[in-house]
Amino acid sequence: MITRIIAFARGLMRRRKIDDEIVEELQDHIEREIEMHRSRGASLDDARRMALRDLGGLTQTIESTRNVRATWFDGLERDVQYAARVLRRSPRFTATALALLILGTGSATAILSITYAVLVRPLPYPDSDRLVFVTEKDGAGVSWPNFEAWRKGATSFDGLAGSLADAAIITSGEVPRRFESRSVTANFFGVLGTAAQQGRLFDSTDARPDAPPTIVVSHTFWVRELGGRTGAIGQPIALGSNSFHVIGVLPPGFRYMTPADIYRLIEPQVAANYRGMQSPTTRTNFYIVGRLKPGIGVAAARREMQTLHTALALAAYAKPPKEWGLELVTLADRIVGKMATTFTVISGAVTLLLLITCVNLAGLLLTRSAARAHEFRIRAAIGGSRWHLIRQLLVEQGVLVAIGGVLGAAAGAIILRGLISLAPRDLPRLDEIHLDFTVMFAITALSCACAFVFGVVPVLKTLGAVGQALVAHAGRGTTRSGAWLRSGLMIGEIALATVLLAGSGLMVRTMLRLAHTNPGFDPHNLQTVMFSLQGASWPDERKQAFYPSVVERLRAVPGVEDAAITYSLPILGSNWWNVFMTEGTTAEYWTSVGEFPNAGMAPVTAGYFEMMRIPLLEGRSFDRSDTPTSLPVAIINSSTARRYWPNASPLGKQIRQGFPNAPYGPWRAIVGVVGDIKQEGVDRETPQQVFLPVVQQPRTTVFAVARTRGPVAGSSIEAAIHDLDRTIPVFNDRTIEQVMNEASSRRRIAMVVLCVFGGVALLLAAIGVYGVIAQGVADRHKEIGVRMALGASSGQVVRLFLRHGLIVIAIGIPVGVVAAVVAARSLASLVFGITVTDPPTLGAVVVVLVCIALLASYLPARAAARIDPLDALRAD
Amino acid sequence: MKKSSLLQGTLDLLILRILELGPNHGWGISNRLQQMSKDGLRTSQGSLYPALHRLEMRGDVKSEMTPSDNNRRARMYTMTAAGRKRLQQETQTWNAFALSMRRVLGTNE
Repeated sequence: MITRIIAFARGLMRRRKIDDEIVEELQDHIEREIEMHRSRGASLDDARRMALRDLGGLTQTIESTRNVRATWFDGLERDVQYAARVLRRSPRFTATALALLILGTGSATAILSITYAVLVRPLPYPDSDRLVFVTEKDGAGVSWPNFEAWRKGATSFDGLAGSLADAAIITSGEVPRRFESRSVTANFFGVLGTAAQQGRLFDSTDARPDAPPTIVVSHTFWVRELGGRTGAIGQPIALGSNSFHVIGVLPPGFRYMTPADIYRLIEPQVAANYRGMQSPTTRTNFYIVGRLKPGIGVAAARREMQTLHTALALAAYAKPPKEWGLELVTLADRIVGKMATTFTVISGAVTLLLLITCVNLAGLLLTRSAARAHEFRIRAAIGGSRWHLIRQLLVEQGVLVAIGGVLGAAAGAIILRGLISLAPRDLPRLDEIHLDFTVMFAITALSCACAFVFGVVPVLKTLGAVGQALVAHAGRGTTRSGAWLRSGLMIGEIALATVLLAGSGLMVRTMLRLAHTNPGFDPHNLQTVMFSLQGASWPDERKQAFYPSVVERLRAVPGVEDAAITYSLPILGSNWWNVFMTEGTTAEYWTSVGEFPNAGMAPVTAGYFEMMRIPLLEGRSFDRSDTPTSLPVAIINSSTARRYWPNASPLGKQIRQGFPNAPYGPWRAIVGVVGDIKQEGVDRETPQQVFLPVVQQPRTTVFAVARTRGPVAGSSIEAAIHDLDRTIPVFNDRTIEQVMNEASSRRRIAMVVLCVFGGVALLLAAIGVYGVIAQGVADRHKEIGVRMALGASSGQVVRLFLRHGLIVIAIGIPVGVVAAVVAARSLASLVFGITVTDPPTLGAVVVVLVCIALLASYLPARAAARIDPLDALRAD
Repeated sequence: MKKSSLLQGTLDLLILRILELGPNHGWGISNRLQQMSKDGLRTSQGSLYPALHRLEMRGDVKSEMTPSDNNRRARMYTMTAAGRKRLQQETQTWNAFALSMRRVLGTNE
């Protein structure tokens, strides 16, 4: 590439030199001629005159000699200069075309770049198409016994590895600090195909129970915390009460699902830390990634695993439990997951916008080429070579598209930055997104094709019939077929605008619905932080005494009205699912039903319901009388009460967590029933919930929630907790409203994009309709004059043109509505509380479009009615 | 016989013929042409230079800027091997053509 540029530049320089030499050569010739004439006695003036005469003029000869040397490139240079002049001469056309190109290519480049990065580009692991993700039914995490059974039995894989996201508290420093971490099986990095950047990664010897504890760290962690020193390998780091050795550093940018700084082995800890993972039916957050053997398909692997999994159930149970099942998807599908729909929708939207832009550009170019057809016919008639005319047109469109493309790419970069700032922080592959050249190239190619088809081809057609056309169309450029083509383009534009507007309407209604859904508690002014009471220095007794003191301390923070502690935060979802037994029902009964009662377990402090403003429906709420030693109690939500005690009051009934053969904790008396809340998210079904006093069920990592009078900084909550104990890691400060915003971010992106694009599409459609009708009026200027001179009223003239607009609307909108109904199916998982064919939405869209399109046709029609017949007839 | 304007394509042939005698610059070639035009072949100086450059682009001649008197530089043209070959061919073609024309028109020599 660079050598080519140099060769090109050298060529240019050589050309300049030859040009100069031609001048020198001819000057030499003239001087010799002058000398010759002078030697024959002519005066200097005469000699010069004769010399120039004989040569046939100096400039002409220079020019004709240069032309011999000229290459295609010199012609191009001239054409570009001419094109620039032509474009400057019609600033309105140029500005409109550029605006269209920038808008269309800019937004399309930005959005399709994101889509390409998130959906299309392979994951950043070697042979990533062979990586699959395995879960139990409904995407639930896997229990350790099942994972081991799969690992032993499955033959489709080169390897099956498991991991779970957790947090590590580094206690080596002055103050304990919390880092995101991931516990992995020893073969985890092997299955992903990741190699160490420094040191080594885990192998099977590290997983032996007697092996020294080891960790692998991220590149960022290595640089920031370990100073990027090679000597850091082998350095001890204390996590909790144990010391680990750093054995390796991952390559920069390595990421699996959520980012993590510390990777440790899961195997030695399974027995100690993850008791819950031991029972085959418990939900866990342990997920499996597998590398398929070459040549084994995803479907084949899925079949094998499902057969294997059913066999496991049949070996353990008489009848497989209802929640027994297995899912296997490609890793890429799992990572992109729910965002895939959002991206499909906004990519669809931007493609529609790009189409509308092209249609509008096409209309613009058609009008222009019609207007210039006359110019080109004349030039052809006086001997301009066809090839020259075509080349010049091509150059003209090329210059336009090139400027538009460059500015569009710049606009794309800006739009991309805006969209990334709008995106949720947990957007998959966010860090891999950048302006994509493949996408940019494809889009520029599309605009070029559009410019060529609609800007050059019609002119070629008119050139075909040079002679008679010159006579027939003295001055008026448009042809009938061109007018029909433009009307057709208009219809398409209106239809596309309908689709986009319907989509944005659906998303706006969805967001309104979500905003008006009662979450069951008051989400305003709730500030939360998480804190962790980890390690041997926090026995249960100390935790039980600590929770109430945290609540007391937080209530004293200025601006805080009330405070409480909970294990699971509403909207964010339950952190603890468990089955439970009910008093008087046998295990046999539940086995025969095939489903054990289960609920999200939420240990909370006294006063939690009052602070959250969750209504108490029956009985009492937790209070100071609930202590570690008092009667074990529980409060259930209304859904749980209805489900298991449909005909009686649940108050006083006993429940116990776990299975009959593996109970967990004591029997508890139900002392109250509270209203349902949207625990799993505003748009999700209300789950069954069981609340426990946290003093009776201590937990390590919990949320502190403060009800504030206005905004209170999370740091002041953190400071208050540190007042009690400086060694407690406090993290993740945010408000419940932020949590809710994050939860709806994928809908909000879709809404913002669809609304912006819908608005632009509406504007473009209006401009398009206006343009077509106005062009019609201009073309028929004289005819209108005649009609009015013959007595047509201005109302009749208005109707004449309004009818054209009405036809376009009458075809375009029904087509658009049908297309919108089909396209809206892709929104199915995004809309909430309405159907994708929501009649009020579609109705409103149709009304808006009809009004705008009518206005856009009425304005030029009215202008037609104001034509002065005398002026019109005198023209030409 | 009246002076006739130079038949198209013959200018190249004449230039090559002049250069066959040795390297020359544009004005020199032009002078030789002028002398030839006394023999009934008229050329315009204006068309000489494009023709020279065309011949160079085609590879029949090559040129070099050489210093001449009075501090000026002139472009000196030299015939190439390809040009020599072309001259031979064209001369033959021309002679054959002229012979046929003479036969058809009859001779008045």
